[in-house]
Amino acid sequence: MRRSLVFFVLVVGMLLAFSAPAFSADVSKGIKVGNAGAFTGDAAAPCMEIYNSAQIAVDEWNEKGGIKGVKVEQVMGDDALDPAQGVNVANKFVADNLIYGVVGPPMSHIAQATMKIYGAANLACITTAASKPDLTDQGFKHFFRVNARNDAHGWNCALFIQRELKAKKVAVLNEKVAYCENIASETINGLKKLGVTDIMQDTIVAGAKDYSAVLTKVKAYGPDVLFFVATTAPDQALGVRQAKELGIKAVFFGTEGARDKKDFIQASEGAAEGAYVYHFAPDVFALPEAAGYIKKFEAKYGSISGFGPPAYEAMNILLTAINKAAADGTISREEVLKNVAETKGYKGILGFPVTFDKKGDLEGGATYFFKVVGKDFKQVAVMTGK
Amino acid sequence: MMVRTFIFLRSFFMDIYLQQLPQQLVNGLTLGGVYALIAIGYTMVYGILFMLNFAHGEIYMIGGFVAWWVLSLLTVNHVPYVNAGILIAFMIVMAMGFSGGLGILVERFAYRPLRKAPRMNLLLSALGVSIFLQNLVLNFQGAKARSFAVTSLIPEGLRVIQVGDVVISFMRILVIVVAFLLMALLTVMVKKTKAGKAMRATAQDIEAAAFMGIDTDRIIVLVFLIGSALGGAAGALVGLLFTQVDYYVGFQAGLKGFTAAVLGGIGNISGAMLGGLILGLLEALATTFFPATYKDVVAFAVLILVLIFRPWGLMGEKIPEKV
Repeated sequence: MRRSLVFFVLVVGMLLAFSAPAFSADVSKGIKVGNAGAFTGDAAAPCMEIYNSAQIAVDEWNEKGGIKGVKVEQVMGDDALDPAQGVNVANKFVADNLIYGVVGPPMSHIAQATMKIYGAANLACITTAASKPDLTDQGFKHFFRVNARNDAHGWNCALFIQRELKAKKVAVLNEKVAYCENIASETINGLKKLGVTDIMQDTIVAGAKDYSAVLTKVKAYGPDVLFFVATTAPDQALGVRQAKELGIKAVFFGTEGARDKKDFIQASEGAAEGAYVYHFAPDVFALPEAAGYIKKFEAKYGSISGFGPPAYEAMNILLTAINKAAADGTISREEVLKNVAETKGYKGILGFPVTFDKKGDLEGGATYFFKVVGKDFKQVAVMTGK
Repeated sequence: MMVRTFIFLRSFFMDIYLQQLPQQLVNGLTLGGVYALIAIGYTMVYGILFMLNFAHGEIYMIGGFVAWWVLSLLTVNHVPYVNAGILIAFMIVMAMGFSGGLGILVERFAYRPLRKAPRMNLLLSALGVSIFLQNLVLNFQGAKARSFAVTSLIPEGLRVIQVGDVVISFMRILVIVVAFLLMALLTVMVKKTKAGKAMRATAQDIEAAAFMGIDTDRIIVLVFLIGSALGGAAGALVGLLFTQVDYYVGFQAGLKGFTAAVLGGIGNISGAMLGGLILGLLEALATTFFPATYKDVVAFAVLILVLIFRPWGLMGEKIPEKV
């Protein structure tokens, strides 16, 4: 009898110890924010841009005196594109009681793998690039995105290809990763709905640097538009370059990763002229409110592709929520989460007010289309799902 | 029914073969030439030390970076200071020199102290060197791919040559010519010169060669020099052809080069050349007939088949186990 009582007490004690109690702490103990991403490996370049952009936001808050006089510290959690390491990062962030929010993870498959861990700890996550639709369809309350969902982009791209590029025959090449496969399949579904059924689909292996074999196949097919769905700007530059070299006449249409003047337009040495790309944000270079951020980034880290600005925005939204939660001198993850969820009409540098809907998705997500003219991108259309 | 089947088949073959095949052969041949150059480095080292030099992929990658450094040092706004032909030759030569030197350093500091140790230690050392070099480049160059602005080096009219439906770019011709030239030079060197003879003797039996008065340490250094220089040349050629290099390209290229070496018969230099060409062609042809995802599946299926029927590879020799 006594033994079972001891056992009972032990079990209850353990349950108490392992269940996450609402941890409300004095602000002066310190404030940290996590940044989860693939900072080494194939996607290191865009992820470092995300990290550095978020760091600019953190530095700006700290220059203004921090939050309640406390300097905010950004913690890097490197998952190296590996979901298993992503889980380690999530556990590490959750275990650190001073981390009140996370920017990332930017990759859909890692966001998925870590969803339950962050969710159970009520740790607010704002991703800047993970666009796989069902991430926000699973009932989690802690996950937000400042980027539009893939299904919105895919459908908008289909609209653009059919209405603006007037294509009847389309080739879709996608990299074999969740993000690219989703965009490709959503676009193909959309095109079929719009009556474009003459579609060829094939895949590319990123990092191989040689796409000429699969592009030769595209040439034999003879499409009006080649939708080249790769993640990074250098890969897109190779695509457009090698397509041109083979004499493919189709209009080249690339993804958001290609919106990079240096690594796409300049790197393709003229081959990108007349190509189109889509992007989730309007031209930040043309937005006066983004000028300060761009100046700081370029001075410190070099050229900007599309991945930086949303990260700056996400970190600012997160810090605004933390600031609000810390106003009374104490702060908890639950408070921060509630404040992030209430973000409404936040005006930052993206050119549209950020509001999160009930699922945590960006309300009114739009897709912007750009054409390469000379050495720059010119915005030519916006599609909003209609 | 027969007629319809015939018409279908004919249109199928017209599409697949007549239109794509010659182009795919060109694609495969260039890629194969590059694989062959990488494979030689693996096979030469294996032939003498019976070790897999995992760092070879990284030496190839650094060759690509050296070529890029030369290109960016000698051009401003895509305009070279020197004649474009000299610039390209200089890129290749510098890449070969730097990679060759690096190969010697790696041998001296990572492999020679372990020569008497069990093979596993040597293998781990090679793996360590590979990771070290990769991260060294990551630290100094960053993760972003570097672009070669080489299109503007070639006069407009020479950039692509069109033969019927087949498009061959100047760079492809250059890569094929240089790759085959280097392979021919190596073959002559190994077959006709005294040093080549010493290399063959060392590969056959390192102890006996030493007894015959061959300085086997120097031969091993020579093997690392030549193998790494060819790897560096491959890196420069890929940079010129596919116009990009990043710190991670060595991994995949190393894997392909190693596969090519095994396919041709590891330890056999002409086998490595043949294996490289076959692997490149296989990948291009597999892409023609299957979804491109399966190109490696097809290539490796062929490798497995070859190894089932000829475990010693296409041109390798059946060597009885030493007791």
